[in-house]
Amino acid sequence: MLRNIGVLWVAAATLGLAACGGTNSPTGKVASSNQRGTLIDNPALRIASVNASDFAAQLKATASGPQLLQLAGTPACGVDFYYFKYWTVGPDNSAQMASGSLMVPTGSGTQCTGPRPIVLYAHGTTTDSAYNIANISDTTNSANSEAATIAAVFAAQGYIVVAPNYLGYDISTLGYHPYLNGSENAMVMIDALTAARAALLTTFTPNTSDNAKLYITGYSEGGYVAMATVKAMQAGGDPVTASAPASGPYALEAFGDAIFFGQVNIGSTIFGPLATTSYQHAYSNVYSQTSDVYSSTFASGIDTLLPSATPIGTLFQSGKLPQTSFFDSTTPTSSTGIGAVDAAADQLLAIPTSPPYSASQAALFDLGFGNPYLVNNTYRVAYVDDAVINGDEAEMTLIGGGTLNSGNVALAATSMIGLRKDLAMNDMRSGGWSPQEPMLMCGGDQDPTVYFQNAQIMAALWTPFVTGGLVSVLDLNGAPQAGSPFAPLQVALQQTEAQLIAAGGPSAVASFHATEAPFCLVAARGFFAVVP
Amino acid sequence: MQKKIMTLAVGTALALATTGAFADDGGANTVRLGVYFVHFDANATDITGPYVPPGLNVHLNNVETLYLAYVRTLSTHFNAELAVGYPPLTKTEGRGPATLGSVRYNGQVISTARWLSPSLVINYVFGDENTRLRPYVGVGVNYTKFLARQSTAAGNAASGGPTSISLPSSVGPTATAGLAYELAEHWHLYASYSVARVNSKLTATTAGLVRTSNIHFWPNTLVVSAGYSF
Repeated sequence: MLRNIGVLWVAAATLGLAACGGTNSPTGKVASSNQRGTLIDNPALRIASVNASDFAAQLKATASGPQLLQLAGTPACGVDFYYFKYWTVGPDNSAQMASGSLMVPTGSGTQCTGPRPIVLYAHGTTTDSAYNIANISDTTNSANSEAATIAAVFAAQGYIVVAPNYLGYDISTLGYHPYLNGSENAMVMIDALTAARAALLTTFTPNTSDNAKLYITGYSEGGYVAMATVKAMQAGGDPVTASAPASGPYALEAFGDAIFFGQVNIGSTIFGPLATTSYQHAYSNVYSQTSDVYSSTFASGIDTLLPSATPIGTLFQSGKLPQTSFFDSTTPTSSTGIGAVDAAADQLLAIPTSPPYSASQAALFDLGFGNPYLVNNTYRVAYVDDAVINGDEAEMTLIGGGTLNSGNVALAATSMIGLRKDLAMNDMRSGGWSPQEPMLMCGGDQDPTVYFQNAQIMAALWTPFVTGGLVSVLDLNGAPQAGSPFAPLQVALQQTEAQLIAAGGPSAVASFHATEAPFCLVAARGFFAVVP
Repeated sequence: MQKKIMTLAVGTALALATTGAFADDGGANTVRLGVYFVHFDANATDITGPYVPPGLNVHLNNVETLYLAYVRTLSTHFNAELAVGYPPLTKTEGRGPATLGSVRYNGQVISTARWLSPSLVINYVFGDENTRLRPYVGVGVNYTKFLARQSTAAGNAASGGPTSISLPSSVGPTATAGLAYELAEHWHLYASYSVARVNSKLTATTAGLVRTSNIHFWPNTLVVSAGYSF
């Protein structure tokens, strides 16, 4: 009897203990749909959370942080940095996974909580396939500086920031980046905004919400993408409060023509392969084989080279790309047989000199010529011939020393070169559109990477809107105007660039494009603050 | 494999309870009731995974819980002990930087779990039935299953969002040394010290991202109990 009781007791005890269930903490949901704009993991992952004073302290501890703090101002809010994954579409309309950053202001200040405006930010050109603007915690990630800048300028001052990584970067498996493909990158931006708005509902700060004001900005490639996004959202009837594209290659055809005419920009050996790969995937009309465009030294594999997990410096050193030599230093000649065309083309094919360019301009352009060189002479001549025969009005006006106005900035009527057609298709002058909400185009006329002519051409095209005050242009290198709210920024930027020249000599101008970025973003913030 | 071992252990205990007994101190069957005092001698690898800064580790707090055991006397010198504790709530604290950004980490309770940890031990008992105080030593096998794994609010804040915790079960050796003191014909007092090896892999999943740490526990256990033999 006692033995049986013992058996029953052990059995009962074992069963009773086994009834202590294995429950676990609830975790998020994973979306089952891959429709555009779907947030994949909800809630999104918060990578980092800093209060205002800790953020200021962390910025002060970095090399460029003190200057950024001086420019952006002391953080009024803390920032929560989220990483989100979402679905978008590729150029072939296939479902593509992408990622981005959601930065949410935190703190008890009135500008840090409650309904807040959103800044949709487009980042600049990068060759790093691991670029992740959400990963603020990793100072070795190439996106860290840009992430810190937009956090300091916008999020720490009360703006919710949404910044996608674009296709081709971070977790994207597309295999390339649809560089300067306006409509494609606009979709990526719009889908990121949709997903981020969903993520905003399940953050650690449920009291912070979208107040329906949307500002769009970006720098360099991001300036172009920002403008393309405004264009796409207007076409779709989606509200945009204001925009501030900065230092972007908006007038792509004119910009491309300028480069092929010898005004080679800093970064051309990176931008060129990114663009030709992007357009070849989208339109299949740039080349039959890469050697149609590129010299035999670099043609093999150039269509899969960028973006890359290998640092760009290593790619240069290992001979995968030339650092600056875009064209052959031995000048080719045109041979269409049409005298006027050949004469004009030969003049444009020549290595730039001073005059007509300034000494510093000529010195910069000349960096784009050498041996080994990236673009083969046959292709360059064909491009220049086409640009002479089918001229881009804006570029022809500039070359001729004329003044841009709304009547002389049209795109070429046609083109026989696939790349030129693609540039025209993605040129922001195409489509006959204009901004319907306030737009500020910021840049610098000393920018050696993305020429200020891009903003000037768009402003000329939109002359009535500039006159009416809807569209503004800010030249950071221009003479500060008394009473202008941007005058202090212009003064500060010009002082900074003068210091760079004093320390590094004339070649320091090569860094101006990067130097101007935070100044344009602060200008954008000031612009957004006064827009009705 | 672990289910088979657990089944074997329980089955063995049940079988032993129904066989013919060596009469010992009032009976071949003994049930014990007491208290476990558990000190975790835990050694964990730093947590690794996406967006995890270096140097993040964990610490387990000591616990006390109810001790239950059934002992079957096999001979004058041998017995078999099946022991289990009421699943205690174990708190895991963060170890590492004071804060992650501005989120507190070191010393924060980041997760809790209960664990069911039966051990089957074969003991050698010194002396004979007429000896009042009998030391014993034993070796056996421990099975540990983690239950009710929860990430706390502090854990979610450190991880970056709602987090699910996974800790697979463990099977490992255990050893014990103790003293049995006869109070009366059917009653004994026991005090023992045991150590077991428990290995598990902590997996924390937040927003689809997985972070892990390999944890090696060496629960050092002091047991004080009373037993009734029949």
